[in-house]
Amino acid sequence: MITLGLGLLLLAGAYAVAVIEEWATTGRLRPAAPLLAGLALLGRESLVPRKADRVLFEVAPVLFLVAAVASFAVLPLAPGTAIADLATGALFINAALAYVMVALVMAGWGPDAIYAMVGGWRFLAQLVAYGMLVVMPLTAVAMRAQSLTNSRIVEAQEALWNIFTQPLGFVLFWLATMALAFLPPFDLPTAPGELAGGVEGEYSGVRLAIFRLARLTLVFSLASAITVFYLGGWLGPVLPGWVWSILKTLAVASLMLVGGRYLPRLREEDLLAWAWKLGVPLALVNIFWVGVTLLLVK
Amino acid sequence: MILQTLAVAFFGLVAVWFSIVVFRTKSMVRSALALLGAMVALGLLFLALEAEFLGVLQLMMMATEMSVMAIFMVMFMMDPGGLGQMEMTHQKKLSLVAGIVGGLVAALLALLVDWGALVQAQNLDMPERQNYNLGMEIMGRSMLIFETAGVTILVSMIAGTLLAIVSRTQTTEGQE
Repeated sequence: MITLGLGLLLLAGAYAVAVIEEWATTGRLRPAAPLLAGLALLGRESLVPRKADRVLFEVAPVLFLVAAVASFAVLPLAPGTAIADLATGALFINAALAYVMVALVMAGWGPDAIYAMVGGWRFLAQLVAYGMLVVMPLTAVAMRAQSLTNSRIVEAQEALWNIFTQPLGFVLFWLATMALAFLPPFDLPTAPGELAGGVEGEYSGVRLAIFRLARLTLVFSLASAITVFYLGGWLGPVLPGWVWSILKTLAVASLMLVGGRYLPRLREEDLLAWAWKLGVPLALVNIFWVGVTLLLVK
Repeated sequence: MILQTLAVAFFGLVAVWFSIVVFRTKSMVRSALALLGAMVALGLLFLALEAEFLGVLQLMMMATEMSVMAIFMVMFMMDPGGLGQMEMTHQKKLSLVAGIVGGLVAALLALLVDWGALVQAQNLDMPERQNYNLGMEIMGRSMLIFETAGVTILVSMIAGTLLAIVSRTQTTEGQE
């Protein structure tokens, strides 16, 4: 029952993300637009490119969706309300996100098209670099909670949210999630105007619909992850816990979608250089800082 | 218990099947991703064996490792897409013998070693207990080993990168 409810919530969340994304891009609020666009995509022919690597081409959008849903599955909405509150939840979310990259590499290689391939390999480098900035801040989060279970991580923020105790980790994690969801200015694998759609450029019809749905799901899931790891999850006064979770997640998703729109797209080498030369050392500083504060406060 | 045994057997067979695909395909990328499939099946097998941390770690590490391997094979091989019907096997007789002998030894070990009584899950927080014990092990008795291995890997990565970078002065001298 909880699984079904959370599944529906995830779908509704992905829809809300689609509405917000259009609002942020075009400045028009049209609540029915994603539904119409989705129906239009389903009605269109789904082309398969010549000489496509058929297995990879077909598996990629589905794997993308599965990975996005799996990353949401370990995040609790309220006490005891998660699809699977694993004892290794904070690690599992990394595992699920790694398969987003596998899906995009498949989508890049599968269609036998140059722009798609460039986009796919770009995302490989992007995820390997920014995956570090997901794992390392999460290490500090787990240190404070003394647990990898996501519900314990929320409970550990009862006194003070992690955004206040480890602001550096929060900023790094935020940027990393934006890079993982390839939102602007990190949208290198799709890069409209430069790669003509990149990894999703060769997809059309129902396959593209799955691809888009997976991306929206991923944005909602990552916003939910920020809420759980840094913004105290379900914690909040007056309103019930699940309402707080949803409100925070939507607020985070809106900021993720709006913020990057005003920045130019980064160059691949700058993006990677910043992650490895600046991000990783800062993430180590964050772990050190959190370790010291934990020892001192205790 | 029966369900668990069936799951273990199923994922084991999936792993073997993907391992065969690694050598049957002509495309480098397919081969690397098939290897990833085998590793994922092993990760799920660990999960079925209630080794949650190990399973999740396997799933996480292998995704990036195999994809990185795929791009390296694309960079270095003359026919990454398999359009020229590239053969994935070599030294067939030697590898056949080595494979059969290795398989037999593994099977014999599995059957002959006395593994002791099955450990049943005592309580619901068993995975959490495993994580705790693993952490205490890594940060306690085995710390030196892990630290040494970690630093060694890091040094070899940095050294490998340095060797791969062509120095600028060298290039200009070469052009002259």
